[in-house]
Amino acid sequence: MAAVYKSLSKSDSEKHEPSTNGIKKNKQRVLILSSRGVTYRQVLIAATDPLHWPSGFFFSDKFAHRHRHLLNDLASLLPHGRKDAKFDSKSRLGELNELAELYNCNNVLFFEARKGKDLYVWLSKVPNGPTVKFHLQNLHTMEELHFTGNCLKGSRPILSFDAAFETQPHFRVMKELFLHTFGVPQGARKSKPFIDHVMGFSIADGKIWIRNYQISEVEQTKTKGDEEEGSESAAAGKNSNSDINLVEIGPRFVLTPLVIQEGSFGGPIIYENREFVSPNQIRADIRRAKAARHNGRAEQVAGRFAKKNELGLRSNGNRRAKDELDKTALFA
Amino acid sequence: MVTKSKLKMALAAEKGVDFAKLKQQKKAKEAAKRKAHKASDKKPESEDEDALDEAPGATADDQEKMNLDAIYESDTSESSIEMEARLPRKAKPDQSKNSQQEKEANDDQMEDESDDEEIPVSDLEDLEEEEREDIVPHTRLTINNTSALLAALDRISIPTDNSVPFATHQSIVSSAQTSESIPDVSDDLQRELAFYSQCLEAVRQGRSRLIREGVPFSRPKDYFAEMVKEDAHMEKIKAKLIEEASAKKAAAEARKLRDLKKFGKQVQVSKLQERQKAKREVLDKIKTLKRKRQEHSSDVGTKEADIFDVSVDNEIAKHSQRSGTGRQQSGARTPNAKRQKKNEKYGFGGKKRHAKAGDAVSSGDLSRFNVKKMKGKASRPGKSRRKAAASK
Repeated sequence: MAAVYKSLSKSDSEKHEPSTNGIKKNKQRVLILSSRGVTYRQVLIAATDPLHWPSGFFFSDKFAHRHRHLLNDLASLLPHGRKDAKFDSKSRLGELNELAELYNCNNVLFFEARKGKDLYVWLSKVPNGPTVKFHLQNLHTMEELHFTGNCLKGSRPILSFDAAFETQPHFRVMKELFLHTFGVPQGARKSKPFIDHVMGFSIADGKIWIRNYQISEVEQTKTKGDEEEGSESAAAGKNSNSDINLVEIGPRFVLTPLVIQEGSFGGPIIYENREFVSPNQIRADIRRAKAARHNGRAEQVAGRFAKKNELGLRSNGNRRAKDELDKTALFA
Repeated sequence: MVTKSKLKMALAAEKGVDFAKLKQQKKAKEAAKRKAHKASDKKPESEDEDALDEAPGATADDQEKMNLDAIYESDTSESSIEMEARLPRKAKPDQSKNSQQEKEANDDQMEDESDDEEIPVSDLEDLEEEEREDIVPHTRLTINNTSALLAALDRISIPTDNSVPFATHQSIVSSAQTSESIPDVSDDLQRELAFYSQCLEAVRQGRSRLIREGVPFSRPKDYFAEMVKEDAHMEKIKAKLIEEASAKKAAAEARKLRDLKKFGKQVQVSKLQERQKAKREVLDKIKTLKRKRQEHSSDVGTKEADIFDVSVDNEIAKHSQRSGTGRQQSGARTPNAKRQKKNEKYGFGGKKRHAKAGDAVSSGDLSRFNVKKMKGKASRPGKSRRKAAASK
């Protein structure tokens, strides 16, 4: 009975609140979790300074456990998120729906690590979709970037979207999902009242680049600041005069959209990015190219061997058949 | 297509069998069968919706891609079924059985279809396998079911237009496409600058809108709360910055020292040159002096002039010998003609043996001795210094 009463009273109170404008409230909760295998192993690379890694550095062959750190970074930025233990299966992702329902979440941010080096990110709206699957690359966590920016834990970000997000329907769907997942809803439980960071989503090269900056306000003149303190209401207009600059906080990463499914972790595929080449394929190609070099050399060696054999230049090979014009025969 | 042998292909070609058509017929039959099967079962509503959503999508696709043949169309219409077979949703027991059957029916088909999606052209049948491998990536088709995407968007979208307060969503779409200001994606600086300016624009807009709506924006100085990066982390960053700065400073200092060293060398060289120059000047002076004397000698007594001449000559000879230019000039020492001839013929003459051997004079000659050069190694530091070095 208590539950019934609660639900009734809740709906009542909800009715009262938004009745002024008649719009449903933006209520989001995100289940943040990863598959097993995000802490698989460490792979060392030559470059040590992450800022100077080339942007075309497409294998995340660096520190595999960074995937987990990224998850922690994101979780710290999302006060409306619920971080859960690692999910045990990679094939039965449908179970995530039940898990999300269990935690009252209507969004899922799922990190799927494969081979300890490739990271796929699933963004899903839980009860009935859609789901977007991304491939995550060029990942730098907050910890390793050494950026000086910082922000309140749980402050609401301003989300800055590239204009390209409005051009195509699949990008629009992605934008909506980003908005739900990374935008902290108004009045979220653990959110802080001030706005001090901005999250940027840009599209370049068919990929989505995500950056996170701190908003630092620099007063242009000291006198103006004093005025503002005196009369806050009047200062509201003037306040925009003060200079703003951004200081990056981190993390940085790039998402390549792969697939959009209509349902939540299921359903028909309604968008598929066929330009995407899987990292496995790239690795295999590189391996094959390397092998091809060796094979070419080996073939050359065999060819030379055969040629010499044919000319009778090898000690235990077949001798050349003597004809009557051979020197030894002619001057015998 | 893939499975048929060359001989069969040739036969078929002679008979004029169109494989694509045959396949289509087969598929149509199967689809009909499946539909009948489904109709008998009770279907959940969601699937019906999917089917409804799917149908207009397929037609839209067809309109977009008129050049694609019929195989593709059948693929898109079946895609929902396939996906469900592969990724089971919350399947009811009777439906799961159904889907199992579908899976079996589809299994052999799926292999063919995966090829079909990538090779829409029917005339690929007679290609060799290697060639086909080459062609696949170029003929790939993109699934982009616009209407389904829009439907999904409608289902989940929260309003972000002017009808709602900005504070509810806080999202801003930039005025220009960011990719336009990035000429080269691998140029880090330019790319980051583009991202930065996009965000800055959004912040400027968002800030003014938020302030207009009366939402507290900037954090007061006395508001302390937990930050995303905790103090330990910020401390680390600070240490890193300091380290970087000090390293830069040290590098600059080292460079300065190196430059100084180089400069010192230059000074040395210039000093040597100066000395040489001074010497030349002295010699010139002597020469002019001599000439003057000679001119005067006609007037003054010859004996006196001779004496002076000899001394000046000696002076010049000394210098010229050292510079090694004029041996010939000292005409008085030239050997006789016969000796000269012999010298030319046999070399200078005299023993060559023991020429380099040391003797009393050479060993007594300490002109080249240098104390500094004898001290090759640095002397051993004292005990206390050594200890200090070891503890470092």
